[in-house]
Amino acid sequence: MKPTVWALSARFSDWLPARAARLAGRFLRCLGAICFITTAATAAIGAPDGSGQTSPAGFITFDQAQFLQSPSIALPPANSVWRVIDLPDSWRIQKRDWRQYGWYRLTFRHLGAQHDGKSGEQRAIYITRVTNNVEIYLNGSSFAVSGRLGPKPQESWNLTQYFLVPSSLIREGENEILIRLHPDGYARAGIAQVVIGASYLVEPMFARRHFIQTTAPQLITGVLVVMAVFSLTIWLRRRSETMFLLFGLMATVAVVRLFHHYLRDTPVWLGALAVPAMCWLTTLQVNFSLHYANRSLPRFERALIWLAVIASVFLALAVMANAFWAATGIIYGIYALLTPVLTAVLIYQLTRVITRGNILMIVAVLFTSSFGIHDFLNYRELLGYDRLYLIPLGLPLLLVAVAALLVRRFVETLTNYESLNASLANRVAIRERDLAASFARERELDQQRATAEERQRLMRDMHDGIGSQLMSTLAVMRRGTLTQAALESIIADCIDELKLTIDSLEPVERDLLVVLGNLRYRLEPRLNAAGITLEWAVNDLPPLDYLDPENVRSVLRIVQEAFTNTLKHANASHILLSTGVDRMASRVLVRVIDDGTSFDPEQVRGGRGLANMKSRAGNMGGDVEIIPLKGGGTCVTLLLPLTTFRAKPAA
Amino acid sequence: MPSVLIVEDDVAFRDRYVATLARDPSFEVVGSVGTAAEGLNALSLRKPDILLVDLGLPDQSGIEVIRYANKTLPACECMVVTVFGDEEHVLASIEAGASGYLLKDASEDSFLSGIRELMAGGSPISPIIARRLLKRFHADASVAEPVRSSSDNVPVESDVSLSEREREILLLASKGYNYPEMGKLMGISPHTVTSHVKKIYRKLAVHSRGEAVFEANRMGLIRTL
Repeated sequence: MKPTVWALSARFSDWLPARAARLAGRFLRCLGAICFITTAATAAIGAPDGSGQTSPAGFITFDQAQFLQSPSIALPPANSVWRVIDLPDSWRIQKRDWRQYGWYRLTFRHLGAQHDGKSGEQRAIYITRVTNNVEIYLNGSSFAVSGRLGPKPQESWNLTQYFLVPSSLIREGENEILIRLHPDGYARAGIAQVVIGASYLVEPMFARRHFIQTTAPQLITGVLVVMAVFSLTIWLRRRSETMFLLFGLMATVAVVRLFHHYLRDTPVWLGALAVPAMCWLTTLQVNFSLHYANRSLPRFERALIWLAVIASVFLALAVMANAFWAATGIIYGIYALLTPVLTAVLIYQLTRVITRGNILMIVAVLFTSSFGIHDFLNYRELLGYDRLYLIPLGLPLLLVAVAALLVRRFVETLTNYESLNASLANRVAIRERDLAASFARERELDQQRATAEERQRLMRDMHDGIGSQLMSTLAVMRRGTLTQAALESIIADCIDELKLTIDSLEPVERDLLVVLGNLRYRLEPRLNAAGITLEWAVNDLPPLDYLDPENVRSVLRIVQEAFTNTLKHANASHILLSTGVDRMASRVLVRVIDDGTSFDPEQVRGGRGLANMKSRAGNMGGDVEIIPLKGGGTCVTLLLPLTTFRAKPAA
Repeated sequence: MPSVLIVEDDVAFRDRYVATLARDPSFEVVGSVGTAAEGLNALSLRKPDILLVDLGLPDQSGIEVIRYANKTLPACECMVVTVFGDEEHVLASIEAGASGYLLKDASEDSFLSGIRELMAGGSPISPIIARRLLKRFHADASVAEPVRSSSDNVPVESDVSLSEREREILLLASKGYNYPEMGKLMGISPHTVTSHVKKIYRKLAVHSRGEAVFEANRMGLIRTL
């Protein structure tokens, strides 16, 4: 099915004039078909004659009646002159006198119980349309009134009437029905065909007609009200959805328009509003259909709106000037002439892209515009007096189109939502991958940076430490003044230096005791060889978060320096190393006490070594104190911060 | 008289080891070779009590020689001679089955005393390596826990996981205490300390041979906790 439609649309856009002509042709054919159908439908309900007798079928359809006009509300005198007229009888077409009442006389024969055995049968009278009200008499007795009569008559221009006929009033032989019509100032005063017969036969005719003419528009009104509320609520929540605003307004004016089709007591203002409602209904339908097709013709749409505004104002003025009928004729005429143009434009726009919704919309547009023209002609009674009004019956098509739209939108929204979720998950995954990659890159960079720093530090160390030591050794050796023992000692120092560097690179996990213990492990053999015993009295220390390889080396150098001083200068036999935490001062203490000759830190023995120790400790936020002990010995204390290391300005 | 095999590619060092060992009549040098291949050959021929091996051999790593010795001569004590005694080399040697290490720059006296200590029980463990071993055997071992009585030990895991005693020794070693000090602190003789250390060396070797077994036992240990 789809390919055909596509092919069709392609051909349309290839040759526009042909397409337009074809569309116009279709439209006219459509209109003709509708006129034919409604005529046939209406005709099927009624059939001929002004008088008759109960047919074998059980009912008589009067398409003729005797008629006279009288200014008096009383029954016409017996000597009145009646003339035969055709039913339906339109006062406008027949140019009757609007200030007088119209009397319609229908006669039928009843043959009596002995003849047909049906005298006890309930009879009914059914008038397909009356404008405005009637009072009905049988054999001189009134038995039915269609509505409230003057001075404030009920309006019932589009109602069908049905009354039961009291059996007691029916005589054997000739019976006379008199119908007094009150035109009540109605431009379209008149009466349609009358059916009299057995109620069980006539009632279904009435019911059918009543349903299509009154009940259906009422039902449609109910649906429209619901849809209007629904659409306008959606629009209030989502102002960008103009389509729902348009549809909501359209449904609202359609409701206004529909009221006067079935209300028995239409207020004057509501009756008057029916005309601009028609204009606005047309305008909004065009705008809505364009939106529906995703098309936009701003100038065209604006022009239509202005036309509706002008028509509304014009009508208001006309009502004030008591020229309602004339003004209505002009306005309806303009819109009726405009309808084929609007229809052509809409169909052209709707066929630009063929979707199921658009096809539905085209059908709706074709029907509603045809119905509109039909109703206009009907209104001007150019198609006779008694025809159905079709606009109310066309509105459900629009509702179907809108329902299709809503379903499509709902499904689309769900689908979009799902695919959005999927793509969101996808994007998140991609983002995660990117992040992971960038983290990996950063980690790599960090690692490279750390490696570079480490390499630099090692280079510096080699350069300042073992490198310069080897260089100076070489220089001294070249001078030839170096003894074997001195050379051994220098090289041993070099190796110590190397070991220290290597130990500082071992992972110690911020544990100062491991660092100190390892230093002991390295140095103790030499101390022992020099006759010095090392006493180890360490207390547990908390992890020091700043203890990176650089700071480990600083600690090692400081403590090593303390040992070396003792070894070289103090002539000591015992060294005590202790550690502890001074929580009050937030400090970690490392204390090295020897029992050698005490020394004055001001003097030679400290020298550059002491300055170096202090400087190294200072870089870690700590300090070194050297106190000569009374009675011999020296106490060297390394004070380190307990928690985070904060760099001091270099001393 | 313990027999000693020396595997060392540097001739100067090799001669020095031979000379040093010659000073102590209780040792007999049964071989002195320069490559791993020769070392493996000498191991199977001479079946020494002590193997002194350098890690940086020209043909193969000394680790392979240790591994072979450990497999074929379980009674042989393997000792690595290293330049710096750094963690990486020492741990690898212990895992291969070495039970001690010597520093190349050690004086003759400390060289000999190192070998004697090895024979007596186990080589001293440096604090850094002690700490490392603690971590290897148990993640919680670094936390200084109160020493538990030996009855707490689950026998099943004693072959690969550390006993409380062993853990305590490693903990003290990581703080820089030497064997006599440890013995004093724990109320045991220094000799008992060294035998514990030797067990630790063995366990590390076993542990590294059976990572899966170790894992299983670790799980078991966690359950008993």
